Amino acid sequence: MTTKKKLSVGLVINGIVLFIIGFICLYPFLNVLAYSMSGYNAVLSGKVTFYPIDFNIDAYRQILGKTQIWLAMRATTIVTLLGTALSLILTIFAAYSLSIKDLPGRKAFTVFILFTMYFSGGMIPTFIVVKSLGMYDTLLSLFLPQAINVFNFIVMRTFFRNLPESLAEAARIDGASYMTILFKIVLPLSIPIIATIGLFYAVAYWNTYFDALLYIKSPEKYTLQLRLKSLLFEGELNNSGANVEGIGTQVMTQSLKMATVAVSTMPILLVYPWLQKYFVKGVMIGSVKG
Amino acid sequence: MKDNRKLLAKMWNYRWLYLMLVPILAYYVIFKYIPMYGVTIAFKDYNVFKGVLASPWCGFKVFNKLFANKNFWHAVRNTLILNFATLLVSFPLTIIVSLMLNEVRSAVFKRVTQSILYLPHFISWVVVAAISVNMFSVTDGTINMIVERAGFKAIPFLSDNTWWVVTYVICNVWKEIGWGTIIYLAALTGVDESLYEAAYLDGATKFQRLIYITLPSIKSVIVTMLILQISKMMTIGLEAPLLIGNKKVLGVSEVISTYTYRIGIERAKYSDSTAIGLFQSVFNIIVLVLADKFAKLIGEDGII
Repeated sequence: MTTKKKLSVGLVINGIVLFIIGFICLYPFLNVLAYSMSGYNAVLSGKVTFYPIDFNIDAYRQILGKTQIWLAMRATTIVTLLGTALSLILTIFAAYSLSIKDLPGRKAFTVFILFTMYFSGGMIPTFIVVKSLGMYDTLLSLFLPQAINVFNFIVMRTFFRNLPESLAEAARIDGASYMTILFKIVLPLSIPIIATIGLFYAVAYWNTYFDALLYIKSPEKYTLQLRLKSLLFEGELNNSGANVEGIGTQVMTQSLKMATVAVSTMPILLVYPWLQKYFVKGVMIGSVKG
Repeated sequence: MKDNRKLLAKMWNYRWLYLMLVPILAYYVIFKYIPMYGVTIAFKDYNVFKGVLASPWCGFKVFNKLFANKNFWHAVRNTLILNFATLLVSFPLTIIVSLMLNEVRSAVFKRVTQSILYLPHFISWVVVAAISVNMFSVTDGTINMIVERAGFKAIPFLSDNTWWVVTYVICNVWKEIGWGTIIYLAALTGVDESLYEAAYLDGATKFQRLIYITLPSIKSVIVTMLILQISKMMTIGLEAPLLIGNKKVLGVSEVISTYTYRIGIERAKYSDSTAIGLFQSVFNIIVLVLADKFAKLIGEDGII
């Protein structure tokens, strides 16, 4: 009896500690939301923690009225949609062909891909190639040069390998081509992994700052992260932003900054819960067997 | 002859698969292998107008200049400091949190906690940097408000070199700790239940079971992860140090990637910048091979 009671105490403590860790993980998000929706007296007095005080959405009204944000949103959406589609197609093609065990040349081709994980030309040689292809300062430079992620390729190949072989074999005997098998049999069974890898690519494209910093020059092609950086850290909001005078401007800026952060992160937070159930399983399968 | 024809016939069978591999091949050649050839400019006097091929060779001139440069070694040192500090905190913490999650009995509580812990992984570094100002600023950062309320002096998290390293580590741990648990949780689901039952019947306490069953069964995953992370010690993302860092802490926040960027893009010294990248790649490969040898020596699976 005593041991059983002891165990449950341990479990409760474990639960409490995990709850605290979870709260620490979540707190900064709540803090951002709270700032973005609080009145400026509350922000000024430093009372805002993780819930809004003097609730209002003026900051959102202001930020959504800015064309810069909408332009950046559009650029990032284009990159994310096109990039994710291209990345998924290429990764599926690579992973599926190289999951077929007796394809002549499979080993060599796999090594050809994996080698790029360990050795790369680096920032400047890649930059030179991208530039000489005329992709500098185009949105194309933000997804084409990094279309395939080797880790995602490995995870997906592992998933395909673990699918039951009998179905594909039966189809082969019936004379189906590999293209037909991929689209009619393999892909319908692979929804979880496609959702997972799709989410990884989409988030990477949505969040990338470095590629945009490297390749994008014209302000009208600024992606969201690039715009966010200049708004948050280079004081663009102070110059062109709020029309409130004096101290109000400064405080408004804090709410405005946080509203900008919230708006730019919202799309991820919206799709996350829907895809979450897939990716835990998907990554686990890939990482254990890979 | 006959064998060749047989092989060709076999390959014809797989024509669709080869067709799928054509764009993959093109992608890797153009965006990965041609830049690999581009590293030759580390041994050249690169001239923008002549291009990679026609620029004249200059031997190890660029490397000699680089290795004599104090700033380069500072960047190397800072990269190692930040990586090791992060590893030191995040590695054990990730394992501990995985073990804790593994003990949770309520499926709902476990799922919700996991979802929350994974969330920061999906947030951009620009946003993390903005959040870090909210949390760590001296004047109205959340943490310093707590510190001051407790009667201490505000801590210069973002403007003092040493404290900035702490800030960097906290941000990294906050962002990646939950995500890091996935691989351990996967390994933990593979532990044989009957071992626990047997130990329970033998009267082993919970703690003993953890030490003698759970940890040994995920040992190989732990070793593999450790080796993988150590072999990446010379590699550091550019976004985190660049965005969380600021002019005041450049002494610790200037790492290899940011230095490469500043020299290569901002000052257009292509050869110098490429040389740094090559140094980094070669260093990584050497460490990786050594780590792999070491893993095999202690009886674990290699990673290559």
